[in-house]
Amino acid sequence: MFRSVKQNFEGMLYIFPSFLLFAIFVFYPMVRTGYLSVHMTDFQGNPTNFVGLEHFRYLLEDVNFQQSVKATLLFVLYTVPPTIIIALSLALLANEKVKGIQLFRTLFSSTLGMSVAASSVIWMFMYNPAIGVINRIITALGGEERQWLLNPDTALIAVAVATVWMNIGFAFLILLGGLQNIDSSLYENAKIAGVSYMYQLRRITIPLLSPTLFFVTTVSLIHAFQTFGQIDILTKGGPMNATTVIVYSIYREAFINYNFGFASAQAVVLFFIVLLVTIVQFAVVERKVHYQ
Amino acid sequence: MKKLSLLFSLLFLLVGCSSEKTEQASAQPSSEGKTQKGKTEVVFWHAMEGDLGKVLNEIVHDFNASQSTIEVKPVFQGTYEEALTKFNAVAGTKDAPTIMQTFEVGTKYMIDSGKIEPVQTFIDQDHYDVSQWEKNIVNYYTVNGTIYSMPFNSSTPVLIYNKDAFKKAGLDPEKPPMTYSELKEAARKLTKNGNYGFSILNYGWFFEQMLAVQGGLYVNEENGRKGEATKAVFNSEEGLRVFKLIQDMYKEGMFYNVGQNWDDMRAAFQSGKIAMYLDSSAGVRTIVDSAPFEVGVSYLPIPDGVERQGVIIGGASLWMIKDADEAQKKAAWEFMKYLTTPEVQAKWHVKTGYFAINPAAYDLPLVKEQWKKYPQLKVTVNQLKETKATPATQGALISVFPQSRQRVVSAMESLYQGVDPKEALDRAVAETNRELEMARKR
Repeated sequence: MFRSVKQNFEGMLYIFPSFLLFAIFVFYPMVRTGYLSVHMTDFQGNPTNFVGLEHFRYLLEDVNFQQSVKATLLFVLYTVPPTIIIALSLALLANEKVKGIQLFRTLFSSTLGMSVAASSVIWMFMYNPAIGVINRIITALGGEERQWLLNPDTALIAVAVATVWMNIGFAFLILLGGLQNIDSSLYENAKIAGVSYMYQLRRITIPLLSPTLFFVTTVSLIHAFQTFGQIDILTKGGPMNATTVIVYSIYREAFINYNFGFASAQAVVLFFIVLLVTIVQFAVVERKVHYQ
Repeated sequence: MKKLSLLFSLLFLLVGCSSEKTEQASAQPSSEGKTQKGKTEVVFWHAMEGDLGKVLNEIVHDFNASQSTIEVKPVFQGTYEEALTKFNAVAGTKDAPTIMQTFEVGTKYMIDSGKIEPVQTFIDQDHYDVSQWEKNIVNYYTVNGTIYSMPFNSSTPVLIYNKDAFKKAGLDPEKPPMTYSELKEAARKLTKNGNYGFSILNYGWFFEQMLAVQGGLYVNEENGRKGEATKAVFNSEEGLRVFKLIQDMYKEGMFYNVGQNWDDMRAAFQSGKIAMYLDSSAGVRTIVDSAPFEVGVSYLPIPDGVERQGVIIGGASLWMIKDADEAQKKAAWEFMKYLTTPEVQAKWHVKTGYFAINPAAYDLPLVKEQWKKYPQLKVTVNQLKETKATPATQGALISVFPQSRQRVVSAMESLYQGVDPKEALDRAVAETNRELEMARKR
């Protein structure tokens, strides 16, 4: 009896430092956000009076917020599947044992080393209607010049393309690690059995890679929901709020308009959206994951 | 259960990783606000970047060298919006600056914040003569008879045009368009070979100005000058004229959408992509110097048959922070007085294009000489001098200006998508009203 209490205490002691950090940087802000979401605040973010669910009620009928929910979902759709597919293809290529493959592995994962800000600025110049390389190529091929980031129809896609490029490095690296963990004897067996590459991919690689794929998908999803930097730099949420994803809307309400209460309400909504998506992920998708 | 805990830890990990903006606490005064040499230290937060920042630093340097008891430390804090956000975070703590530069639409916000000391206090204590300041500028920063902040960098919008392009299009480069119909006619001729006649940045300030020049109000209660504004009124006939102008010109293909970025707009002008555009007078000097062609500057165009009312003062003013200690505030006031001397104002005006707060500066040889070289600078001054002091040209006073501007920008952007001007304006007004209502509830 005494022993187990002591053991418990010891365990708690080990967990305490990380618990403390979480408490300060995660639990407290979370609780505070929930608290602020039912209050009006002054310019410094101190709650002034209790308004209950009024912020949420307004959110439901606010066309701008509906627009930003739509933009967020579209953005996730435009970024996550392409990132995973491209990164998986690159990882499969880079997993081949050929000479000089290290170079390609480095190249493919290199976007991981670029900050969002730096990459965004590069893309901003590429998209520039007057001097950007993208329009130059298009006009050289006889196409028509376009204002990629100023047209509500193309702005979100343009930001998504840049984001896919930025995220490929991370997804690639994790997937490659997963590929290299697959027991090579399985492939040797497959070779002896003489099966086709596609069959081998479907029956060996993908199932054994599924835990890694699942991880990458979950992380990419959450990441996509929280995208901020490239939007702030490339479009500032414009044109006509076409690229105002929820996180950007939160930022704008809190740090430009100083409506901390209203911003917190949006943050709470975002939290539940991400939570829901993650639960669905675990409930539905994880069943298909094959753990060794 | 295990899965659930994994889920949560994953979530927290990601939330915890998402980056937060870190505040840079640079150049803090040491304890008691004294430097090691026993000078009183005044921390001055500003938002002047590029060439403007260089000139400002020169002026501060001159001030520090001119006396031995005060040391002013200028700290660049990003754009006006960013600087205000940072100020908001440190206001009331010892990390707050002594002097804070805030843009004109932040005036109501600063007053409401309760963190500032009106400069009127020092004007009264010192029996300082404010009649030497430009009346139109002081007007903006006077609320209920109190001068709250020290006007510093004031600018107004102007029409900037490419004289060479005018010549090539068969237009008289000395006769820039003054009315909407002249503007359209000129733009029509200037639009060719993939270049466009005219552009306006998608920025609320320009809309506010084009409204005021016709005498249109932005919000009720005489633009919020008579009492707390409760309703936006810019969806008036005057506002509609502006929106119609933009849409008509865009539909006809002579208006180029430059987006929201000032640099993109100026780059488009310099590369010849647009022949005319609206800019702040503070950009005049840089544009004249860097454009590879002759640049003309003119008044803001007005609709046909409307009497010109003038422009609203834009730019920024300097605020004294209440929590600084007495010695620092006194020192800051000394610095502010130095800034308004004709000599400093003359230098500031000719090097940037901002107005001289002190009109005596215009009589100094430095200004006269530079006006010969840059006659464009004089246009901006005249436009301000001809402005009539009405509630419209005094500018609106509301605390939710940033929000309202975002709504106006969205409305401007929707014009390019073919949304009806009236509909776009009405929506921006409704949304501004909602912001005003929310602000009243706090």
